[in-house]
Amino acid sequence: MLLNVLASTLDSATPLLFAAMGGIIAQQAGMLNIGIEGMMLAGAFGGVLVSYLTGSVPLALLGAMGTAMLVGLIFDFFVVTLRANLIVVGLAINILAVGATGYILPVAFNVQGAFAPPGLRGLGAVPMGWLAGVPVLGRLLEGHTVLVYLSWISVFVTALVLRHTVWGIRVRAVGEDPEAARASGIPVKSIQYGAILMCAAIAGLAGAQLSLGELTLFNKAMTGGRGFIALAAFFFGGFRPSGTAVACFVFGFFEALQYRVQQIGIPPQLIETLPYISVVLALASMQIVRAWRRRRATNAQ
Amino acid sequence: MRTLARILTTFATALLVDAVILIVSGRSPIAVYGLLWQQAFGSTSAFADTLLNATPLIFTGVATALAFQAGVFNVGVEGSMYMGAFAAAWVAFTLTTLPWWVLIPLAFLGSAVAGLLWALLPAVLKAYLQVDEVVTTLLLNYVAIDITAYLVTYPFLAPGAANSMSVPIASQAELPRLVASSQLNAGFLVAVAVAIVAAWLIRRSVLGFEIRSLGQNPWFARTMGIPLARTIVAAMCVSGLIGGLGGATQVLGVNYRFVQGFSPGYGFDGITVALMANNNPIGAIVGAVLIGALRNGGTTMQLFTNIPLDLVNVLQAIVILLVTVNVGFRIRSRGWRRKQEAKTAS
Amino acid sequence: MTSGISVQGISKAFGPVQALDVVDFDLAQGEIHALVGENGAGKTTLMRILDGLIQPDQGSIEVAGTPVHIPDPQAASRLGIGMVHQRFQLHPSLTVLENVVLGAEPQRYGLFGRRRARERVSELAERHGFEIDPDLPVAALPVGVRQRVEILKVLHRGADYLIFDEPTSVLTPQEAQSLFGVIRSLKADGKSIVYISHKIWEVLEISDRISVLRRGRNAGGLLTSEATSEAIADRMVGHEVPPLRRAKNAESGAIGLEAKDLAVKDDRGIVTVRGVSLQVHEGEIVGMAGVEGNGQRELVEALAGLRSPVSGTVRLGGADVTSLELYERRRRGLALIPEDRDREGVCGSFSIAENLLGNRYREAPYAVAGSLRARPLRELSKDLIERYGIRAEGPSAPVGNLSGGNVQKVVVARELSTHPSVVLAVHPSRGIDIGAMRAVHQELLNLASEGSAVLLVSGDLDEIFALSDRILTIFEGAITGELSATEASREQVGRLMLGGRRQAA
Repeated sequence: MLLNVLASTLDSATPLLFAAMGGIIAQQAGMLNIGIEGMMLAGAFGGVLVSYLTGSVPLALLGAMGTAMLVGLIFDFFVVTLRANLIVVGLAINILAVGATGYILPVAFNVQGAFAPPGLRGLGAVPMGWLAGVPVLGRLLEGHTVLVYLSWISVFVTALVLRHTVWGIRVRAVGEDPEAARASGIPVKSIQYGAILMCAAIAGLAGAQLSLGELTLFNKAMTGGRGFIALAAFFFGGFRPSGTAVACFVFGFFEALQYRVQQIGIPPQLIETLPYISVVLALASMQIVRAWRRRRATNAQ
Repeated sequence: MRTLARILTTFATALLVDAVILIVSGRSPIAVYGLLWQQAFGSTSAFADTLLNATPLIFTGVATALAFQAGVFNVGVEGSMYMGAFAAAWVAFTLTTLPWWVLIPLAFLGSAVAGLLWALLPAVLKAYLQVDEVVTTLLLNYVAIDITAYLVTYPFLAPGAANSMSVPIASQAELPRLVASSQLNAGFLVAVAVAIVAAWLIRRSVLGFEIRSLGQNPWFARTMGIPLARTIVAAMCVSGLIGGLGGATQVLGVNYRFVQGFSPGYGFDGITVALMANNNPIGAIVGAVLIGALRNGGTTMQLFTNIPLDLVNVLQAIVILLVTVNVGFRIRSRGWRRKQEAKTAS
Repeated sequence: MTSGISVQGISKAFGPVQALDVVDFDLAQGEIHALVGENGAGKTTLMRILDGLIQPDQGSIEVAGTPVHIPDPQAASRLGIGMVHQRFQLHPSLTVLENVVLGAEPQRYGLFGRRRARERVSELAERHGFEIDPDLPVAALPVGVRQRVEILKVLHRGADYLIFDEPTSVLTPQEAQSLFGVIRSLKADGKSIVYISHKIWEVLEISDRISVLRRGRNAGGLLTSEATSEAIADRMVGHEVPPLRRAKNAESGAIGLEAKDLAVKDDRGIVTVRGVSLQVHEGEIVGMAGVEGNGQRELVEALAGLRSPVSGTVRLGGADVTSLELYERRRRGLALIPEDRDREGVCGSFSIAENLLGNRYREAPYAVAGSLRARPLRELSKDLIERYGIRAEGPSAPVGNLSGGNVQKVVVARELSTHPSVVLAVHPSRGIDIGAMRAVHQELLNLASEGSAVLLVSGDLDEIFALSDRILTIFEGAITGELSATEASREQVGRLMLGGRRQAA
């Protein structure tokens, strides 16, 4: 049974990983992207739409990324160009995504509630038959979509981009001190635009995992707060890919647990609160440690 | 009065943008808006329903506005509302032998305390440890929703109930109706009263002066000797308190019990209302009525036509975006001018 | 090879203030040319024009004999001009090498050429005789080393002309000597250097030539080999005859404000006030003369109760208030005219009335039972507006619309109308018109003659001499001199506040 939970953990962690990595990139560029939830939803929608219209999975993934990036563009326009408050814009984006997808479905497709056209081509599981005999790994790695594996790769890619590409270093510079970056000749606005678009693209993949992964349907409530859990994850992980990935797996574990503990008698709602509470505690302890360290340094002098 | 003009112009612009969306999807904006208007204001019962929808938004709008005035970005009013709602429900379904004139105020008191306490944690974290309040209040919303969901799914689940909800509150705790044809109840009057008190607080009280100073210019506040940490906590506590009252009103006036997930985002709508009203509590009443009208009209519209309620969501999102741009411009031009002057001073 | 920079007839005005008035400056190739002057003399403005951050209204710039136009810092960089700013433009979370090459990174297919960057940094550092670990994050470096990173940044872009803006303001004396070593090495490498400073001893030690600016104009140039600190101070502060002073009132002899051995740290954790002791008697105005950035801000904040000192005590009227916060000190009769008028002195979006309310907002008759009373406030405002000559539409006009002078009048009205026993006034007449300045000065004089103890902190010698009975000079966080105003001369004071006493090497 534990094995089943662990296997589900990998699935649950995937959208979190993507969303959190995207969030890290945006955060490093200095923008706390509260709208990840909306971008995920847009990606889920776009993925289903393109799959429905073309029947092609690769195109569906592109569609997911593209739709999410469209939302990212709106965010960029209001935050970077018009200098509006990024928290508020993020929240608005979330409402917009829910509203827009909820509006388009009935209007364009005459659908009420969930959009699940028969024969919708999902991602499908990556065949792991050759592992069938292997004791633990076999069960653990069966039945996952390609995005699951991709999400693990995304952690390394994110770390790589931020640490070892020129663009990534500039993103970090812009996020830390845009004025100083500008003085070094860096096009700050372009970098900010790019960072959000990249965040959106990855969040779109997160959405695709939701709508084309285990289930193949779209429902405007399907992101279920995962965008915020991803936020919690990268706060917990100190904005670094490694720590964040750990948090994502832990939170994914909680989610997988939720579906099963009802049988044991532990209320799933309380499990659901764990990610959020842990972040608040983590943030508080970080600041306490920081203040304590500062006091020690002052006394030492 | 400038606030009123701002609210209306922003709203009108959003309606225009939405009209474009409607045209693109092959509908007549005039017809749709006409329908919306009719459903929202067209008859006594419709208008009453609009005010009913506006009631929780007045609470959350005012609560959010007060925190914003102190420069504290409290997005956790939803959470305070949930905790307050449960507290009020608990009082009202537990202490059933008390007469209404004790029970109702007690329930409100319980909700106020619950809402306040819920906001206290992020308040203290921000005031004394500089923990960013956006993340903490945002996430604590979901914790509140989950905790209360747990409470009515397990310990306080009404026996025999299909959904997660509590037992009904004592009948003497139900708030009286104001109009026969609608669920509009005395809670609306409480909401307006709270807004008026909040307006007095922010404009005329000592605490209000401290809050506004902190929000407009924290360095000035510091030079005046205003205790910054204490003011942050006070503002957040008042904010949470009002949110809690809003939850009580929903329980005592509409649902007559605590229902899991009873709020379709009142807290977030409150942010819209506060922004639209430029954090003015009286303006928040207007904003709340407008958004309430949208929601009411939209719901009915959805029943009778096949235009989904989500159109209202889209409209609301556009309103928010337009409002923040507005605010953004104003802040930018002031800060910009100052920066130019600062540059020249060296 | 390169030759020099020549700047001619540069003028620049910011609104009504003429920051630079037909200024000439030239930098010969391979020399270290010091540019000195007080705050507001125009040195930084001139250099910002060279660095492309500001555009001149008039005048021409020539680099290596060719007339040029410098629209932005990137253009300056291309011309070989690099500025090492007073406030570093570094990214603490990035490593040294990342900071140095930022914006001009070595790369291959988008990947950062870390190895090449590391080599470059090591090579440049070695060439100029200092060691630095390229892979350390800048956040881990002490201030003196961070400055090296700024220098490397500028060198990486191939600067031939380096501008150092008040580089030792954040350094210890040892670090300053180290820096001089680096600068000499740069000169040996063929670079040409502009060294901006207000510290006479430094300038005498490091430069080949000295140019003085005063009030936006050229005030003389000297060869360092022929210069003396008196000559430099002379040109910096001028010979103007101080205006007539008020008749001195008899002092009561009681001490209104006293500080003993105050040591205060700034926000970076650096001790900027080193063991300062001072006394201001009732009825006395003590002028503390010093160039901004020598610890005055932290000292005033410690005296006011906005910042806790590391050691030392503060007494108001004989009572020890060191542990009390500003609000409490105000209750005991302290008033503060803060340094940054717009940020700390007023709240621009509030009305004049609300700004005049100030510390009284909790007391009767303005507040009763937690609620503010409008009428007493309105009457107070009308009274103060008239008494202090504040030119505005009325008590409910927002302060943000007022001119600088009127804003300061609001601050003065608020602070001084409570008849405080101790007043801390920091640069009270900075940036305001003559009329307002006279009014403010008269208020301070009136207060003193009524028995208040006034500490005036300013870099403007006219103001110091107009108001003070006694003058203290402050330099690098310590009191360097104490003079009676009637006996002191401008030159003396100027010299002391510019560090005229030679530092131990």
